[in-house]
Amino acid sequence: MGSLNIENVKKSFGPVDVLKGIDLAVSDGEFVVFVGPSGCGKSTLLRVIAGLEDASSGRVIIDGSEVTSTPPAKRGIAMVFQTYALYPHLTVRNNMALGLKQAGTPAAEIDKRITAASTMLSLEPYLERRPAELSGGQRQRVAIGRAVVREPKLFLFDEPLSNLDAALRVNTRLEIAQLHRRLKATMIYVTHDQVEAMTLADKIVVLNAGRIEQVGAPMELYNSPANLFVAGFIGSPKMNFIDGARLGESVKTIGVRPEHLSVDAKKGTWKGTVIHAEHLGADTNIYLDCEKAGLLTVRVFGVYDAEPGATLYATPDPGRTYRFGEDGQAVK
Amino acid sequence: MTATSANKRPFRWHIAIFLAPAVLVYTAIMIMPLFGTLQLALFRNVSQSQVFVGLDNFRTLFGDPNWSVNFWNALRNNVWFFIIHMLVQNPIGVVLAALLSSPKLRFSAFYRTAIFIPTILSFVIVGFAWKLILSPLWGVAPNLLDLIGLKSFFTPWLGKEEYALTTLGLISVWQFIGIPMMLIYAAMLSIPDEVIEAAECDGVTGMAQFWKIKLPLILPAIGIISILTFVGNFNAFDLIYSAQGALAGPNYSTDILGTFLYRAFFGFQLQVGDPNMGAAIATMMFLIILVGVCIYLFLIQTRLRRYQF
Repeated sequence: MGSLNIENVKKSFGPVDVLKGIDLAVSDGEFVVFVGPSGCGKSTLLRVIAGLEDASSGRVIIDGSEVTSTPPAKRGIAMVFQTYALYPHLTVRNNMALGLKQAGTPAAEIDKRITAASTMLSLEPYLERRPAELSGGQRQRVAIGRAVVREPKLFLFDEPLSNLDAALRVNTRLEIAQLHRRLKATMIYVTHDQVEAMTLADKIVVLNAGRIEQVGAPMELYNSPANLFVAGFIGSPKMNFIDGARLGESVKTIGVRPEHLSVDAKKGTWKGTVIHAEHLGADTNIYLDCEKAGLLTVRVFGVYDAEPGATLYATPDPGRTYRFGEDGQAVK
Repeated sequence: MTATSANKRPFRWHIAIFLAPAVLVYTAIMIMPLFGTLQLALFRNVSQSQVFVGLDNFRTLFGDPNWSVNFWNALRNNVWFFIIHMLVQNPIGVVLAALLSSPKLRFSAFYRTAIFIPTILSFVIVGFAWKLILSPLWGVAPNLLDLIGLKSFFTPWLGKEEYALTTLGLISVWQFIGIPMMLIYAAMLSIPDEVIEAAECDGVTGMAQFWKIKLPLILPAIGIISILTFVGNFNAFDLIYSAQGALAGPNYSTDILGTFLYRAFFGFQLQVGDPNMGAAIATMMFLIILVGVCIYLFLIQTRLRRYQF
């Protein structure tokens, strides 16, 4: 149970095409992350899966049955919103119970599920409180709890960590990862944060301008991006792109990740001047203006003293450069 | 320690000066008339001069059958007028607001405006127009009912003692329905879309969604509307006066505190005006509204929660 198939889903708002034909298969128990820049259609795709938006064309199949025109409540999904969307007038317990009561679940069963979910999310002390009396992290856990008690086939998360502060975001990310491991449920997670995508996903779907750019495991996307967009989107700092012609290469663009460049004060492939250096402790990002390759970002592990104005040589790791053709697609 | 007296802040005149315009205007048009009325109620005109009589006017109002019968009649009618508004105007206002906030409704801006227009009409127009519509001689109501075969139901509603007050209550509802509708509509728009979408995902849809999610979240707005209705109804006068005249006929069946006060204070036809008795009635109206508002503020509003989303 819990598989999802999307066949050629398109969605337009008036003249604007937000989704331009999405095909995707998610198998049972997978954790799939939709990632992409703002406006790429990832949230719309999630809302089409949830049934909160109707697809303009195409089919959505959950667990083998077509649900394209089924209302959200009958799709066997549960959604966690960025703004938590808790019922402000109900206690934490009733927030979790409302959907079950509506479905006519016996009271004993409701109690059992709420106890299990609140233990899992350490919400027991707050069961009788209202959302206004909880912190942001606690509210998001209640929202997750409200999804868990429904025992859905499919969990949908719409940027659930965006409203939390940085420390809480790491904790909640961990909790969601543990939750997935424990429930073994299928989860679909939307984010614009590639760190969340890399750390949580079994499979990442990179979207751009209403199309899927690439689908794959996190390391697959990192190691062999299908095109310029994915190469630039996955990895931080961003991959360096160098005009192939300037290097005398046959392809349009050469890509090198900042962590795959090494620097030396005396010798190397590309000579350049340090423009700026960011010292992060664990690593140092050096911005290097090279005569031949243009502006490069170099990520050096550990502390590296580089003053702006100094001359350094950058050398790419052999075999770890990427080549992209005229159309932006990777060339093997 | 000497520094303390030196540092003593000078009287802050600017606060008094900035408050002065509002305080003066409010005193002149609200506080003075109120206390003037209360004072007037304690005097009586004896051979061309005002004599202090304590609570004698109130004794007359409640003890003298010439006054008390009319007072209790007016109060009873006023309570019924208020009940009609609470039972008809406010529930319909909630329903209209719920319909208007439905995303599937087309032309909602048109409906909103159309329903609100009677509220901005003058009470003279409303009173007179309805009087004409319902007139058994030249009104359109009998003909309209005839068109749908219900002419036998027609009766001169404004002319019969048993129907007149209810009819006027419903006319007032028709006129003012836009206000609860707009206030509740605004309250419903303030409910975030995500909360409603979460309810959709939870399977709480349709009527259940209204009762279990929307209604609890708009209760504070309904509370405000109730108290506005209460104050408005116990101060009402204009519609009755324009439709039925100061005698609030037939046979005082539409007499409410406002019309009763008007006849007592200014006099009407054979009745001679008595400002002191009028002031006593006005004082009673003030006290009734004061008690009602206090009950609302201290008992009801403290229990209504306002939600932050």
